[in-house]
Amino acid sequence: MATILSVKNLTIKFGGLVAVEDFSVDVQEGELLAIIGPNGAGKTTVFNMLTGIYKPTSGSIEMDGKNLVGMRPHQFAAHGLARTFQNIRLFHNASVVDNIKMAYTLHSSEKFFPALIRTESVVEQERELDMEVMRLLKIFNLDQQANLLSKNLPYGPQRKLEIVRALMLNPRILLLDEPVAGMNAAEIDEIASLIAQIREKFNMTIILIEHHMNFVMPIADRIKVLDFGKTIAEGNPEDIQMNPKVIEAYLGGGYHAIA
Amino acid sequence: MKFSKRLKSVLPVIGLAALYGLIMLLKSMGIANNYHIQILMFAGVNIMMTLSLNVVNGFTGQFSIGHAGFMSLGAYGSAIITTLILKPSVIPASMQIPVFLLSLLVGGLVAAMVGYLIGLPTLKLKGDYLAIVTLAFGEIVRAGLRLIEPIGAARGMIGVPNYANLAWIFLFVALTLFFVRNIIYSRFGRAWIAIRDNEIAAEAMGIDSTRYKIISFTFSAFIAGVAGGLYAHVVSFIQPDTFSFVKSSDLLVFLYAGGSGSLTGSIVGALLLTSLPEALRFLASWRLVIYALVLVIVMLYRPKGLTGGYELPFLRITRKEIYENRKKKLPETPLQETEEGEM
Repeated sequence: MATILSVKNLTIKFGGLVAVEDFSVDVQEGELLAIIGPNGAGKTTVFNMLTGIYKPTSGSIEMDGKNLVGMRPHQFAAHGLARTFQNIRLFHNASVVDNIKMAYTLHSSEKFFPALIRTESVVEQERELDMEVMRLLKIFNLDQQANLLSKNLPYGPQRKLEIVRALMLNPRILLLDEPVAGMNAAEIDEIASLIAQIREKFNMTIILIEHHMNFVMPIADRIKVLDFGKTIAEGNPEDIQMNPKVIEAYLGGGYHAIA
Repeated sequence: MKFSKRLKSVLPVIGLAALYGLIMLLKSMGIANNYHIQILMFAGVNIMMTLSLNVVNGFTGQFSIGHAGFMSLGAYGSAIITTLILKPSVIPASMQIPVFLLSLLVGGLVAAMVGYLIGLPTLKLKGDYLAIVTLAFGEIVRAGLRLIEPIGAARGMIGVPNYANLAWIFLFVALTLFFVRNIIYSRFGRAWIAIRDNEIAAEAMGIDSTRYKIISFTFSAFIAGVAGGLYAHVVSFIQPDTFSFVKSSDLLVFLYAGGSGSLTGSIVGALLLTSLPEALRFLASWRLVIYALVLVIVMLYRPKGLTGGYELPFLRITRKEIYENRKKKLPETPLQETEEGEM
């Protein structure tokens, strides 16, 4: 397997507080890497650095031998890093189809002046885009809600839509920030099978942040555990479950296994 | 089927022509006079200005409160062409219309260029901060124009040929609606709406927010410039103080009372609130009180504006329409039957 993302010694300080320290990882093509850790461990901060929303104090984020640090978020997206958000960030006043079309802006070749008079070729492009979006929605069973405003979707489908929207970017790595936060058991199962489907259909590399252990353990290839901004453990799910440092950080003393 | 489709696309044009014919008929019957026509022309210019503001404030979610500045640049830009350079006395009568159109183009381009230059450094600012900068911009333009002697300084320019008549205004309002609608339902409009709804998510989804904001601002400034050019050729007399902050705030009122983010809203807001003070003239000085009161009531009971997000059929493009192929029939369309909440 080839390394597609190489993160070295990522550190970010907010004033005197070191939020994340020396975060390093080589992400392999096709793998599912999970980042876990207690609240405030710096997981989302890592994501924000990996997508250009925060600029790290030091360290590098390399893709294809190119350091992305210092670029703007849309350039990270153009390099193939697409994400979802812990608190859902959809385009609420746009319909489900339009939400996904918006993520195609980058790849669209529509030009301003032809769009202004809406030439036949622009209509053609719009039609192809619409069909493409509908294909994607059908795969993920959202096609029935295509014309609904995204704010009128129930919570579960909103999370799902955010993932589909990120896929529309045609990314090389999909970053999911707590994809099952606030969901019930049935919905968690649905997202788990959705992620399996994405890996199977698109051979997608995924980095995922999550709290739910019984969600992460069966699907992750590799797990990194953060606590107070530091990486305290790394390994496959079985090793992580046994690691005393992880048990301590996660559950405090007294527990012997993570259920 | 085929006929009905074609009818649908020409219906707005027929409607507009019929409306124009009706007004002319009323005029010839003596029911409508030049004063009414004049108000309608002002309303048309205001519709264009409100649409221009709608692009930036309503669709892109930025906040410009200096749009009168772009209008004055367009007004002066085009008036300089028709009044100082290619004045009616030096050109043959047959050249009047081409010169007029050229002047409008120049007015639009001057405003667009300034819009672009202003937007470049300032559109990284957000919300209130951008508002202050646009406010300052409007005042700089006004104060600057007051100092330039060749164009009349604070006295303004007189004798601008009154080339613009109601037909021209109708045409330009229609063109503006057509262009704005098309761009809203393209990659550009979608990017603007994405930025408006959630700028962080828009960036994360690969939308270069600064670039699309600049496009929005420049496009909007161009429309405002053309509207300003038309205005100059309606009133024949322009001065810097016409385009003060009061003008900008009037436009904001038209936009939000009509319904921001809706093209229909801009038409309704500008048309109604331009004619209302005139219709209330019989109340003498009380009319301004009533006008303000009407605004308060509108905002209380229709906080999303009079149209509340409604869009006239020919001002939106449904998903169904992009499948109505004129040349070849598509085997199957993935369209869902329920049409709800387009944009």
